[in-house]
Amino acid sequence: MNFIDRFMASWRKYRKPGYYEEFDYAWTMTIDLDRCTGCGACVTACQAENNIPIVGEKELGRGREMQWIRIERYWEGEYPNAKLSFIPMLCQHCDAAPCETVCPVSATYHNQDGLNTQIYNRCIGTRSCAVYCPYEVRYFNYYDHHWDAPLEQQLNPDVTVREKGVMEKCTFCVQRIRQAKDHAKDDGRRRVKDGEVQPACVQTCPSEAMTFGDRKDANSVVAKKMNDPRAYHVLEETNTLPSVVYLKKVSANAD
Amino acid sequence: MSNVDRRQFLKLVGAGGVGAGAGFMLAESIKHPVEYLIPYPIPPEEFSPGIATWYNSVCGMCPAGCGISVRTREGRAKKIEGNPLHPVNQGRLCALGQAGLQSLYNPDRLTGPMLQSGERGSEEFIQTTWEESLATVAHRLAAARDGGKNIYLLSEGVRGHLAMLLERFMGGLGSEHLMHYDFAHPHALYAANQRLFGEHALPYYDIRNTRYLLSFGADYLSNWLSPVHHSLGFGHSRQGTDLDRGRFVQIEAKMSLSGAAADEWIPARPGSEGILALGLAHQILAGGSYTGSDFDDWNAALENYSADSVAERTGVAAKTIVRLASEFTKAEPGLAIGGGAVDNHSNAVDTLVAVNLLNYLVGNIGKPGGVVFNSDPVVGGPANNRQANFIAMQQLAEQARQGAIDVLIVNNTNPVFTLPHASGFREALASIPMIVSLSSFMDETTTMADVILPSHSYLESWGDDMPQPGLGFPVAAISQPVVSPLYNTRATGDIILDLAGKLGMKDSMPWDSMEACLKDGWRQIYERSSPDASDFDTFWRDVLVSGVWGEDIHRQDTVVVDKSVIDNIDVAEPEFSGDSEQYPFFLHPYMSTAMYDGRGANLPWMQELPDPMTSIVYGSWVEMNPATAKRLGLLDGDLVSIASEHGSLEAPVVIFPAIMPEVIAMPIGQGHNAFGRYARDRGVNPLQILAPITATSSGSLATHATRVSLTATGRRAPPVQTGGETRQLGRNIVQFTDAGSTPGGHSANLNSIPIVVKTT
Amino acid sequence: MQTEVRQARFADVNDDVVRSLVVTGRNYYIALGIAGFVTLTCFFFPWFYQLYYGIGAAGMNSPTVWGTYLASFIFWIGLSHSGTLLSCVLHLTNSEWRKAMYRSAEAMTFFSLFVAITMVMVHIGRPWFIHWAAPYPNQMGLWPNFRSPLMFDVMAIMTYLTGSGIFIYMGAIPDFAAVRDRTTGWRHHLYVLLSLGWRGTDKEWHRLGWAYTFLAVLIIPLAVSVHSIVSWDFALSIVPGLHQTIFAPYFVVGAIYSGTAGIVTVMFVLRKYMNFEHYITKLHFDNLGKLLLLLSLLWTYINMLELFTGWFSGTSTEYEQLKYKLTGFYAPLYWEMILFCAVAPLLLISRKFRTSFVPMLILSIAINIGMYTERFLIVATTLSRQYLPGSWRVYVPSLVEISILVGSLALFVTLFLLFVKIFPSISIYEIKETMDAPKKQGDRHDT
Repeated sequence: MNFIDRFMASWRKYRKPGYYEEFDYAWTMTIDLDRCTGCGACVTACQAENNIPIVGEKELGRGREMQWIRIERYWEGEYPNAKLSFIPMLCQHCDAAPCETVCPVSATYHNQDGLNTQIYNRCIGTRSCAVYCPYEVRYFNYYDHHWDAPLEQQLNPDVTVREKGVMEKCTFCVQRIRQAKDHAKDDGRRRVKDGEVQPACVQTCPSEAMTFGDRKDANSVVAKKMNDPRAYHVLEETNTLPSVVYLKKVSANAD
Repeated sequence: MSNVDRRQFLKLVGAGGVGAGAGFMLAESIKHPVEYLIPYPIPPEEFSPGIATWYNSVCGMCPAGCGISVRTREGRAKKIEGNPLHPVNQGRLCALGQAGLQSLYNPDRLTGPMLQSGERGSEEFIQTTWEESLATVAHRLAAARDGGKNIYLLSEGVRGHLAMLLERFMGGLGSEHLMHYDFAHPHALYAANQRLFGEHALPYYDIRNTRYLLSFGADYLSNWLSPVHHSLGFGHSRQGTDLDRGRFVQIEAKMSLSGAAADEWIPARPGSEGILALGLAHQILAGGSYTGSDFDDWNAALENYSADSVAERTGVAAKTIVRLASEFTKAEPGLAIGGGAVDNHSNAVDTLVAVNLLNYLVGNIGKPGGVVFNSDPVVGGPANNRQANFIAMQQLAEQARQGAIDVLIVNNTNPVFTLPHASGFREALASIPMIVSLSSFMDETTTMADVILPSHSYLESWGDDMPQPGLGFPVAAISQPVVSPLYNTRATGDIILDLAGKLGMKDSMPWDSMEACLKDGWRQIYERSSPDASDFDTFWRDVLVSGVWGEDIHRQDTVVVDKSVIDNIDVAEPEFSGDSEQYPFFLHPYMSTAMYDGRGANLPWMQELPDPMTSIVYGSWVEMNPATAKRLGLLDGDLVSIASEHGSLEAPVVIFPAIMPEVIAMPIGQGHNAFGRYARDRGVNPLQILAPITATSSGSLATHATRVSLTATGRRAPPVQTGGETRQLGRNIVQFTDAGSTPGGHSANLNSIPIVVKTT
Repeated sequence: MQTEVRQARFADVNDDVVRSLVVTGRNYYIALGIAGFVTLTCFFFPWFYQLYYGIGAAGMNSPTVWGTYLASFIFWIGLSHSGTLLSCVLHLTNSEWRKAMYRSAEAMTFFSLFVAITMVMVHIGRPWFIHWAAPYPNQMGLWPNFRSPLMFDVMAIMTYLTGSGIFIYMGAIPDFAAVRDRTTGWRHHLYVLLSLGWRGTDKEWHRLGWAYTFLAVLIIPLAVSVHSIVSWDFALSIVPGLHQTIFAPYFVVGAIYSGTAGIVTVMFVLRKYMNFEHYITKLHFDNLGKLLLLLSLLWTYINMLELFTGWFSGTSTEYEQLKYKLTGFYAPLYWEMILFCAVAPLLLISRKFRTSFVPMLILSIAINIGMYTERFLIVATTLSRQYLPGSWRVYVPSLVEISILVGSLALFVTLFLLFVKIFPSISIYEIKETMDAPKKQGDRHDT
């Protein structure tokens, strides 16, 4: 190939979202808004699993929340026809993530599993990724955090405790994914089976509103749910190509 | 021209070096000292560092009794998950269950036996030893028993073998005064079941298989009976089956979490929900689908509940009443449940009888998707007959005031917090000479104790549980310790057994420990149920490994309703305290998943969990209809004073679109003045100002029967909210669709990258 | 000091400049002392506090993760465009009136960039790792992320800093030589070092002129690109209100605008306190005023465009931005900005106004306050109202932030005060180009 052709091939390769021709896995989560009750079990499970700090009333009063998955609530209509909907919002692991392009030190990047990862010890805290994220799912450590003893005995040893000045966000419980892949390798299998790994939120959801899996596997639950006519992406118009699929809430009308 | 000479050059270089050194020192001082991560260079034998050990147990955070699997690393509990094998929660767990870890590792746990050293309520205690404290208590109990004085035991609603131990213990003391006290115990529901179905027990409400749920105030997704199980059922009924999507209707004065999930939220005048139910019953009969032999009796009894008359009395449109009845009848099947506010009016029992009646009339009793009766629990006896209603608690207080109680033992229940001030319960305790507490935390009731014999956390204890309500077939699970005890505490069962030993009750309670007691009891289960295991030890291990045991035994009962019940079917108008002029609002105190009855307040995760409907953390608030707020000139965050005939509180206003204009709602759970650093001096407790009105026939406290006044204080105290704007403004974040899923429908053509699927 | 009636001689220029360097009154030391003290207490101490405890000392929250630090950064970069404009653009258009001012303006540029870089250090969460943003060989084979607009920033600003530094230094070499010959002691040694052995030969002058023009031509696109790139920190996001193509011209115009206003301020101070009344005259203020007016009209136009496109788009997000700016929590700041930057500068239509010194000073300060507000609003209003209404949150700067803002100004003043005592703050040889050469034979030909 001549220079132009080589150049164009390289260009095309880097322009592809996710920058890989194929992902090893393409981890996807689906959230069925018709089943979500807004109970918040996912929020607490995530806090327990990922050593998320307890921010405290004062800092929450200053607006510094720290919930890798949060429940947003939206009202429609007025009394007596008011309706309340909940939508869990977490890192969408966008294949065309705006946050990945802007980090000056490449502390956030897209890995071979289709996950948007955050490298805590590379982050210098410019916070531009949080600005660029349209879903606002990135959270900054404004202070070092403290657990009143003996609460720190509960901390998960598989997950870092982040220091001040570092950005963090949902990782789809990458420590669980990593462990599942290790187990698969130990068992002599090459691939993780569908349903074998669940992030903490998916695992605990009492109404089974969330599913998680590899959309490359055509037989997986998530692949089937993506074909549901109710499936959509939030803020699809921003073209971020998220890996989280929501299923529309059914508002069956009464007369 | 001059040059820079060597001396000048060196001076310049030296200056630069000092600067660099200073910068380096600054950087180093900002970093943190290295911490060691591996606690045990030479670990004990029970665990391998880096490999997790899972233990199955039973969650103790609320009475539902979900099964849990606890992940431990290096002897520490790290994460609680639901036990996938347990039929109640099937691997899922609610937020409060997840927070059980913070109950175990709470910084404010009581670490050892204590003796009161100051005034009761002053929280001044001195540490003592188990020998001394047990001896003191045993001595005192023996003296009371021998002197014919009254000994009372007030416990949380325990089940299983611990319940049996408490029974035998009190029996050995010659005392009839064993009371279980749970704030959220549905006394009226039990009474209603007794009246209509003839048994004082809770059936299983099969939400999973129902196609139409009519919930009268029951917050089944958040805290009613078994919320995780109901959520599972809800999810399945909605989108987990190939059948038509399940429809959920909620009837209550203020939208609860279940109301938000419902397809329809229908506000009915507070306390009139039972009248509405009878109106629906009337319509069902009028529709002609009920073919039972007692048709005429029912028709006669429900004469006065025509749609128009009921519409006037409840505020629900007649058209809606007719439609609901029709939809409920046509569903295959429909299910009606009642709880929450409906369980807490003066007419609660009548109301719940009416709700039960709906199930009866559509014939879903004993059928999937309907009301399924439970067999007797496997062991321990139904604990519900010991549950103390409000009248019983008032009697206890009265007895105390008259000096008739010599010793009161309190086990992990907090009536000082959950009973209204009007009951005078806390003051009455002053007249009891000796109060012993078995609590793990210094809650309001524990501060009144003279001796504290602190219990283990449920994660450190042996025990067993039969979930209530049952699932239509017998289920039992063993709760086992997942970590070594953190402190010098003991399991409740062990404390009781120890005292029993000291009081000479070895005959009826021969066991050395709770574990031995359990094994003995489960041996009987083993013998009776002929399982696969070849011997008891294998059976015991199998139950521990799987975390649950069950029997495939179902009851097939038909219900025959007594004619006298039919003739007397009626729902009285609800009674409220205070006159409507001076106290124009109905107070609606409600429980949440996170706080439950106040027990979640000392768990930082639960304080940080934003309330789902208002996103408020760390505080209390009062919800009010937008029109009411406008009329009173109140904005979000204005501090108002809420006063009943029995007290007043201050809380900030939150404007809430789904609450009736004459109703104001406040969350239960905050307002502690003890109970640890996360709970105390935070928010207000609406239960304090409730009027002591009880539900007729069940004697339970009618928490929604208090009228209040509301006045602006002129101050502002905006609560801390994590959420922002609550309208979507056309941005299609939550999207809606009219139709349900069509299995095998067309692809949604999502804007995802195409994934190359390898064919090898 | 004589009035402008008397024609200054060549030698007077040298005298005046050397005097401004060497003769230091008490007022100077007081000013330097105050500036230094304020810098220490209002900039460095709060910054160290923040380094120790965390960025939580500032008022930022989730999702408004950027605040006054970034606004200050952009403001200072904007201010740095003053020197470029005066030095380079006006040099290429052969504007005579720039000659008295451009040296100080270039110094403003350099120090503004310096302060801007310190604002970056204050802003980021772990500044002790800021060197990771530089491409240097390391054992992990890590490069910074070149796709990032923040990396473009790093490159552009370092280039601009280097370029400006070389430019100001190189242009001052003849002046160093001039004062070298008239000073003694440590100053003499310093200027010997800095003048690089300049002798004033024809060849040297020729080369200097060539190099100067070359750099001037180079620095103009550099300046335009620097602030465009800084604007792309915002514009390359997809945040409504930030994701606009107008941002690059908007920021460049704004930068030149605030830079020019900054020059007016500095010129007033220099004129009054360094006794440069001869050299900085009404003519200069008049021309600067005209420039300011032009830029003000441009700036107003761009702002109106923003409002118009926001309304025209019809999308909920853009419309909300518009509404929020005009009527939301920060609306008083928005209207203050319009008053100071769009309405008040219309006074510059009057020639009388343009040539009055104190009114020009007040207006220039007002413009800069308005421009700072503009930077602040860009950050605060857009991050407070993004796509998901459930995450909307208001941001209020904390005391630490306000203190650091004041301190950064004091830092700039301190640096500038030090500058005027070490660098010749007016270009001696360029001023002489505007004067008549000494006619009489035998006059000393001072370089």
